[in-house]
Amino acid sequence: MEDADSEKGQKNLIFAPFQSAVDEGFWHKLSSLKLNKLGIDESPIPITGFYAPCSHHQVPSRLTLLAESLPSEEDQEQSSSVPSATLNQGNRNRCPVPGILYNTNTLEGFQALDKKSLINTEAKKIWDDIHTGKVEESSSLLLRFIVISFAELKKWSFCYWFAFPGLVLDPPARVVSLRPASQCLSSEQAESLSAACNEWRNTSLTTGVSFFLVCIALNSHVTIRHLADLEACKNDGHKVLFGFYDPSNLPSNPGWPLRNYLAYICIRWGLEKVHFLCYRETRGFVDLGLSLIGEALISVSPEWKTRECMPKVVGWEHNKGGAKPNVISLAKAMDPTSLAISAA
Amino acid sequence: MVLKQKFHEAFKGTVERITNPRTVSAFKAKGVLSINEFILAGDNLVSKCPTWSWESGEPRKRKPYLPADKQFLITRNVPCLRRAASVEEEYEAAGGEILLDNEDDDGWLATHGKPKESKIDDENLPSMDTLEISKKNTIQSISSYIGGEDEEDIPDISEFEEPDNLIETDPATLQSTYLVAHEPDDDNIVRTRTYDVSITYDQYYQTPRVWLTGYDESRMLLQPELVLEDVSQDHARKTVTVEDHPHLSGKHASVHPCRHGAVMKKIIDVLLLRGVEPEVDKYLFLFLKFIASVIPTIEYDYTLDFDLGSSSS
Repeated sequence: MEDADSEKGQKNLIFAPFQSAVDEGFWHKLSSLKLNKLGIDESPIPITGFYAPCSHHQVPSRLTLLAESLPSEEDQEQSSSVPSATLNQGNRNRCPVPGILYNTNTLEGFQALDKKSLINTEAKKIWDDIHTGKVEESSSLLLRFIVISFAELKKWSFCYWFAFPGLVLDPPARVVSLRPASQCLSSEQAESLSAACNEWRNTSLTTGVSFFLVCIALNSHVTIRHLADLEACKNDGHKVLFGFYDPSNLPSNPGWPLRNYLAYICIRWGLEKVHFLCYRETRGFVDLGLSLIGEALISVSPEWKTRECMPKVVGWEHNKGGAKPNVISLAKAMDPTSLAISAA
Repeated sequence: MVLKQKFHEAFKGTVERITNPRTVSAFKAKGVLSINEFILAGDNLVSKCPTWSWESGEPRKRKPYLPADKQFLITRNVPCLRRAASVEEEYEAAGGEILLDNEDDDGWLATHGKPKESKIDDENLPSMDTLEISKKNTIQSISSYIGGEDEEDIPDISEFEEPDNLIETDPATLQSTYLVAHEPDDDNIVRTRTYDVSITYDQYYQTPRVWLTGYDESRMLLQPELVLEDVSQDHARKTVTVEDHPHLSGKHASVHPCRHGAVMKKIIDVLLLRGVEPEVDKYLFLFLKFIASVIPTIEYDYTLDFDLGSSSS
C-alpha cells in the first residue's frame, strides 16, 4: 500500500516520550544517603533506572526509580550481605538503564543548573558510545538519562526533573509503514517469533537486554540475536528487524528508545531503510497484535554521521504544567513530628 | 487516633517474635500457608503471570525466614481505569449478587461480587474484633502528599522560568497534552491511575497480604484516601487500612489479612465439594481472584485458565 507511495505519502516518524515514575523508597534512600554519607557533596551520582516493555495496552511502561536505583551506603566497605544489584539480576520487569543524578544543596543551585548543557553532555556520551561501538557491548547505553533534584530534607520535599536525551535526526525519519506485527508476518513466522521472544525474555542473561536483532530465515524460522551479530545475520541471508523493548502502548507511535536506536543504526550500519520491531507484551508474554513492525527511511546529510558533528538533542520531560520540575512532599510520611501526631 | 491499631500492631509484632513461622501445612484445614508453601505458590505465580516478580525490598527490613531474593511479590504500573464505586453501581444495577456466601457450590467464582464477611469462628484465626478500626481515624492518618495545607513548605516553582527553547518543538516528538492544557485529549493517550500491587507474607495470620501504592494521572503518588476510591465500598472503610509496608518505605494501603484464612478455607471447601483437589501452588491465583472482589478495577494479572488442581471425581 504505502510502500509504493512516493515521498508525499510518508509522514514523520513520531516518538512517544519516555515517562518517568519515582518510587517513594527512592526519596527515603536519597535522604539517608545525603545525611549519612554524602553531606554537602554535590558530585553527580550514578543511578540505575528500570523499565520493561509495555505490558498493559492502556498504559505505557515507565522508567522507574526505586530505592535500589541509588548506590548502597556501604559501597566502599565490604558488605557481608548480598548486594541488591546481584539480587535483582535477571528480573524481567527491571531492565536496567544507566542514569545520572545531579542533586543540589539549594533551590537556587537547582535553578541555576544549565539544563541545556547537562542534556548535551549526556547525549555526547550516547553519541560517542555509538561511534566507538560500545553500544554493541551494552545496548542500554542508548537509553542514558538524567535526573536533577533538590532535596529539602528539613521539610521532606523533593523537587526533580527527568531528561531522556534523544538525538534529533535531521531531517526526521519518515514512516513507510507501521502496522501491528501480527499483520506483517505469516503464521509460521509469527509463531516462531513469539517462541523466540519468549525465550529471550525468559533467559536471565538476555531478559534485561532491550535492543536485539530479529533474524527471519527464508524458511520462516526466527532467531533473536545480539546487536553485535548483525554481520553474521546478513551473511546468512536473513531478513533482519531491529527489535527493542517498547515502553509505548500507542498504535502509531513507537516509544523513545527507537530514537537513539535509529541514530545508531544509521551511523554504525549506514542503513537508510530500517525495518524495526516495537516489542510489546500482554500479561508478560509477547503480544504481536500490540507489537508493531515498521519501516522507516533515514536520509541525513553525510556530515551528520561524523563523530565531530554532534546533532541537536531534545528530551527534558514534559511534566504537569509544562516545562517545570515536579515537586513531591513526603512530610506526612517522613517527618517524625507529623508521624508522632498521626500516631497519637 | 489509631491507638487500637497501634496496640494491635505491637501485639502482633510480639507474637511474631516469639512464635516460629509456620512450617507444617494447614492449607486445606485452615486456608493458611506455611513459609515454604508461600514460596512455592509465589514461584508459580511469577512463572504463569510474569508481570509479577519476587523482590528483596529494603535490606534492613528483610525477614530471616524468607530467602533474601524472595521477600515479597510485586507487579508495578497496573492500570486502574475506573473507580470501584462506579463499577459497583453498574454491577448492582445489572442484578449482580454476592457469591461468596452463596450456598451454591460455584458461588465464589464471581469476580466482581462483594463478599460479605462471614462469621466463621476459628479460634486459630485472630478475629477482626480485636481490631476495631474506626472509620475516620484510619483514613486520615496520612493526608495529602502533594500540596494541601503544607503548601508553604514546598519550594515555590511557580516562578520557575525556563528559557523557551528548553523544550523545543520537535517534529519527531509526540506532544503531550500537559504542554497545551486547553486542548482536548485527542492524542489517543488514556490518562489513568496506576498501582503497584505487592503481596507479602503475614507471619501472624499465616496468609499472604496485599498492599497498594497508587499513582495519579500525572504519575504522582496518590494520597491513601484516594486509594480508597479504588477499593470496593464494602471494604474501603473496614478491611483496608494504611500501615507501614513490611519491605518498602512509607505507608501504604493494605487489605487487612485477618479474614483471609477463613475466606480461603471457604473457597477450598467449595472446590473440594466440587470434586477438585486444590493444589497449594495455586493458592495465590485463588487468593488474587478473591482480592479482585475487594479491588475490582485494578487490572493486575491472575490468569486462571488452567486446572486449579487435580480433579478427584
